[in-house]
Amino acid sequence: MKITSLAQLEDIKKQGLKLTYPDKIKIMVGMATCGISAGADKVWRALAEKIDALKLDVALEKTGCIGFCQREPLVDVVYPKKVRLSYQAMTPEKAGQLVEALAAGEIFSDNTLCRIDEEEFLMEGVKRPYANPHPPELPAEVPNYQDLPFFKKQVKIALRNCGFINPERIEEYIARGGYKGLHKVLTKMTPEEVIAEVKASGIRGRGGAGFPTGVKWEFARQAPGEIKYIICNADEGDPGAFMDRGILEGDPHAVIEGMAIGAYAIGANEGYVYCRAEYPLAIKRLKIAIAQAEELGLLGDNLFGGDFSFKLKIREGAGAFVCGEETALIASIEGKVGEPRPRPPFPAQSGLWGAPTIINNVKTWSHIAPILIRGADWYGSLGTEKARGTTVFALVGKVNNTGLVEIPLGISLREMIFEIGGGIAGGWKFKAVQTGGPSGGCIPEEFLDTPVDYESLGALGSIMGSGGMIVMDERDCMVNVARYFVDFTKDESCGKCTPCREGTLRLMEMLTDITEGRGQEGDLDKLVKMSELIKKTSLCGLGQTAPNPVLSTIKYFREEYEAHIQAKKCPAKVCKPLITFQVDEEKCIGCQLCRLKCPAEAIEGAKKVVHRVTQEKCIKCGTCFEKCKFAAIMVE
Amino acid sequence: MDLKTVTGDQGNLTVTLEKHPRYVDPTKCTGCGVCLEACPIRYEVQLPEVEHAARTAYAQATDEQVVAGIIDSYREERGNLLPVLLDINRHFNWLPRPALEHVSAELKTPLTEILRVASFYNAFSLVPRGKHIVNVCLGTGCFVKGSTRLLDELERKLGIKHGQTTEDMLFTLEVVRCIGCCALAPALRVGEDTFGRVVPGQVSKIIDSYTKTASL
Repeated sequence: MKITSLAQLEDIKKQGLKLTYPDKIKIMVGMATCGISAGADKVWRALAEKIDALKLDVALEKTGCIGFCQREPLVDVVYPKKVRLSYQAMTPEKAGQLVEALAAGEIFSDNTLCRIDEEEFLMEGVKRPYANPHPPELPAEVPNYQDLPFFKKQVKIALRNCGFINPERIEEYIARGGYKGLHKVLTKMTPEEVIAEVKASGIRGRGGAGFPTGVKWEFARQAPGEIKYIICNADEGDPGAFMDRGILEGDPHAVIEGMAIGAYAIGANEGYVYCRAEYPLAIKRLKIAIAQAEELGLLGDNLFGGDFSFKLKIREGAGAFVCGEETALIASIEGKVGEPRPRPPFPAQSGLWGAPTIINNVKTWSHIAPILIRGADWYGSLGTEKARGTTVFALVGKVNNTGLVEIPLGISLREMIFEIGGGIAGGWKFKAVQTGGPSGGCIPEEFLDTPVDYESLGALGSIMGSGGMIVMDERDCMVNVARYFVDFTKDESCGKCTPCREGTLRLMEMLTDITEGRGQEGDLDKLVKMSELIKKTSLCGLGQTAPNPVLSTIKYFREEYEAHIQAKKCPAKVCKPLITFQVDEEKCIGCQLCRLKCPAEAIEGAKKVVHRVTQEKCIKCGTCFEKCKFAAIMVE
Repeated sequence: MDLKTVTGDQGNLTVTLEKHPRYVDPTKCTGCGVCLEACPIRYEVQLPEVEHAARTAYAQATDEQVVAGIIDSYREERGNLLPVLLDINRHFNWLPRPALEHVSAELKTPLTEILRVASFYNAFSLVPRGKHIVNVCLGTGCFVKGSTRLLDELERKLGIKHGQTTEDMLFTLEVVRCIGCCALAPALRVGEDTFGRVVPGQVSKIIDSYTKTASL
């Protein structure tokens, strides 16, 4: 069936609501890549088998990631006419018990993470409460999810449906107000009005550079040419970031709807999603979503029976970080080597096959439909004056609560790390937070009250980036971290321009020397000089930002570099050539644990005899240090 | 060019010549670039003889049909080289030479251009890879949580360095820059299976589970 009217869309919505909120018990398993890697597929199988064995009439559904990856595998149960409960760290065994409890008509109260008292229907601006959020059989201490520090400060726009709908079912997306934005735009607005609304909302590109989206669209709209293209940049090459994966796996239609609106605004009839091949599940769900949208006439010819047509295709990347740069991405879609070219001309004037092309990031696209439905004023009320709306961060590293977090721009790094992230895991001390991936910098503790927005992070020598936020503690060596990022950009430099190709290699050599104890006086000045040169002379964003991790770590952690160079010591005890492992003779009780676990057989000693590390054999893997229960291994 | 030997009789001579590489005469060159464009071996990857010999024909008769099918499914699409190569790479786990020659002939793209693309992107391999591709994630999230130790452990366990394949062609060890599993770092992937929060001690068990299924 092809939808041609609002009434038909409403019909599908009714079907979707029935599927989302059936009259029977519904079990949802978080089946994004993060959930699956934590064992969600095994939990799913256990649930299905038990349901089958007990011949229970329940709906078993998969859903995307609600963001709290730390607690995966997550299973949600909707008890009809009662409450929705989230269960954390589920195992196949617990899954069996859960189904047994359901069969007995009970509320399962092990492994509870939180209640979900109400669900927000963002597009309609309403909240749909559950009938009995706190039934008496539920332990009183189970909190509502919005009272959990992890969720409290979040405002979900891009992630509005992740963890709430089955991403492989278009009806459930439509049930929560999906494709209404596209309908409104196509039936009631001119392309110019759409662009004006997006401009008024103040949304800036969420890929990292922060160029105003509406302005970019206007360039493409005004550019001469009959054929124009829309591209979604889902080549999330940033190591340590998975926002785009989360959205594509949890709510692919949000991106598709945004792109169709963008296509109408600039006058394009064809679009591509360029997704990296490392995300097979995202590609699979996107393919399903496109097929479903085509079947309902929401993609393809004559959308909603009108004269606007839009076709969407997927292009897989092939593992090249530089393809996240827009001109390189275009070259890659054209089937060429992904090398950037100088701009101007900007893609908005001359992009894919020479036609005006708009490239926006996954997160930007998923914000478009809500902006058109709820209005520019609503969107502008979130965030700060210069950075409006929300953005998604992947909060990872040494924090207690890792996961996907969507926050209004302008909240402080401290709130991100210590409230949402729950502070540093294991009681260690915070050292630095890294934003912006290989293009960003490391920010030390004294700047933790900096608001998260484009300009503030830029002033610190980092960048907002696409949303990776990696927290490091005192056990991370900043020189080694800088070396890690330079190693990455050195590998990923396409080799077209000399400053980036040769410069990153030289930086890498100098940093390797420092971490291996061959650093010399004057190395830091050389590093800074070389970094400045690369920044000023590289062709594309990759090279222009590649030295940022080096510059920011030298700026904020100079004494750590100096310790490596002068004292030949690694204060964080990470750089292998600069450390040794030794046994503390007073603490060692001769339990043999380290000796048995040592992969290099470098530890000698018998039972109840103080052990000794043979330095010539030691590979400095740190296994003994971790295994020792008596803190008898000293790292110097 | 040097004259080496001349044999035979008048009217029926056999001449052996020795050719030398040609050089550009800088006094005449206008820098037009035509020779550069036309040079057939400009981007060609030069391989040792053994590997070259292994690539002159498809290993199996059905391989040709598979490749033909892949090419046909993208024939009408613009800029189809990358999707075609990705599918071939997925099917064989690497890009065999005959397949590339096949693609070159069908898509009317010079082999040099195909090899340039194939050697640019990390996903492609120009040498055979093992049945299971083990990818250790070295994204930042995994890196700070110690994924280099997983790599060390895997290198010890499999007896190879990353980028290499075990002799029994069962495992190829590679590193990947982020599989987007950062919140469950450190992560590794074997084929399509992703494992999160892996500690070095688990590595052996994970690998063994694939060795077992292979021997069944």
